[in-house]
Amino acid sequence: MPKIAIDPITRIEGHLRIEAQVDGGKVAEAWSSSTMFRGMELVLKGRDPRDAWLFAQRI
Amino acid sequence: MEDALGIKVPDNARIIRNLISGIQCVQDHVIHFYHLHALDWVDITSALKADPGETSKLAQSISPWPKSSAAYFKTVQDHLKKFVESGQLGLFANGYWGHPAYKLPPAANLMAVAHYLEALDWQREVIKIHAILGSKNPHPQTYLVGGMAIPLDPNSAAALNADKLALQRQLLVTAKQFVDQVYLPDVLAIAPFYKDWAGYGAGVGNYLSYGDYPIDTTGDPARLWLPRGVIVNRDLSRVHPMDHKQITEFVTHSWYEYGDGDGRAKHPWEGETNPKYTGPKPPYEFLQTDTKYSWIKAPRYNGLPMEVGPLSRMLVAYASGHKAVKAAVDGALKALGVGPAALFSTLGRIAARAIETQVMAGELLAWHDQLVANIKRGDLTIHNGERWDPATWPREAQGWGFHEAPRGALGHWVRIKDGAIVNYQCVVPSTWNASPRDAKGQRGPYESSLLGTPVANPSSPVEILRTVHSFDPCMACAVHVTGPARQPITRIQVA
Repeated sequence: MPKIAIDPITRIEGHLRIEAQVDGGKVAEAWSSSTMFRGMELVLKGRDPRDAWLFAQRI
Repeated sequence: MEDALGIKVPDNARIIRNLISGIQCVQDHVIHFYHLHALDWVDITSALKADPGETSKLAQSISPWPKSSAAYFKTVQDHLKKFVESGQLGLFANGYWGHPAYKLPPAANLMAVAHYLEALDWQREVIKIHAILGSKNPHPQTYLVGGMAIPLDPNSAAALNADKLALQRQLLVTAKQFVDQVYLPDVLAIAPFYKDWAGYGAGVGNYLSYGDYPIDTTGDPARLWLPRGVIVNRDLSRVHPMDHKQITEFVTHSWYEYGDGDGRAKHPWEGETNPKYTGPKPPYEFLQTDTKYSWIKAPRYNGLPMEVGPLSRMLVAYASGHKAVKAAVDGALKALGVGPAALFSTLGRIAARAIETQVMAGELLAWHDQLVANIKRGDLTIHNGERWDPATWPREAQGWGFHEAPRGALGHWVRIKDGAIVNYQCVVPSTWNASPRDAKGQRGPYESSLLGTPVANPSSPVEILRTVHSFDPCMACAVHVTGPARQPITRIQVA
């Protein structure tokens, strides 16, 4: 069974990797992985909650 | 914040938020279809072989859109030929052109390429509404806890005035015309060539919508224009109520660790973000998918993986009896000669997005008129500042904010203590859809939807792209790393 990895998936916003096991011309198993750490939650800790929207809308 | 502190926003702020989000949804869906997804279905090189006269006949048979003469399509084709002959395909350089999975006749391919180019101009125009209401796009700047920071005054040059509102209405008409006369007819014309894709890509079969676009300022979830609810196991006869407390996130297969072990899922109010990369050192061939393999957590509702996005919203609205959605969905299904079960598919996801755009583009004009009517009768209120001062806040508070973003259900959870954020957790649409497996080994929506997808040639897997793109993935649109002195963090050489 050939296993393939598509990385990066293009024509999207961000970084996505798909791994798939192909059996008899069909996908038999698949895994979705984001290869980028975002960390917005850590950026917001300790800040004035009135500013949260301006940071969080960048996601 | 508004949920945590019990703040109600004024009616004008409600409408302006709906307009900003609504036009974003319309623009985003069109960009997704033409610029991010169409090339999985449309073969650019085949468009070169088209007879512009046939393309013209096809275009005029599906729509009254005026740019449809043979001469027009000939111009587009000549442009494309020049690109190809110069060896500079530019935007179109990387594609699986000539792959046997491409089924459109040359005439349809040329029509789609023409509309791809037209959509580039159109999207730049219609999003000027964000410049009017939000000062810029992307990332409008006029939000404010308690309302909006945009003065309303029909007679002031520095406010949202009569001139700007007139321009806004004109842009909304432009938006609606393109959706009605180009986008939706194109989807309905292309879909019959790919009917087998109504049988692939179904995925987890559970659909979640938070609902959105409040129709009044009560904060009552029953007063959302797009309804809230959950559909389980493709059962359209029952829409379950949605309770955000049933949402939890696993990190069993994600590069994070929880303080009390990775087996248990956590509600976002209790959520933790402790990154712990355990994957292979790049460059690597494959990930260790039996352990942790993604930077995305695995959100579950009542323990189940959920698809979010236009298909979920349209299914929840359809099953809830939403009049405009029901009419639009039934119209599209009739045009394609299929039943509602066809919606549980890659093709269904694409159709639902176009249907939602059509319904939304119509509703935006009504919201615009409501705003104008409020202003005309002298209601210029835009912000509720009662709880702006942290001295008015309780010592501790927690809340959740929800939105139906173009790509799906978006939730942020916040806990506030002594005027500062102590915990903030975002579960965004692609967290749901791109989720890895959970502690029970249940696959996420992308993973499930790919099972059974045909792959004619594993080295040109256009079929996998079709299904993944049908979800409109967005991992993080605009997270950039920069130092305080704007010095470079790292340099990357692209060969």
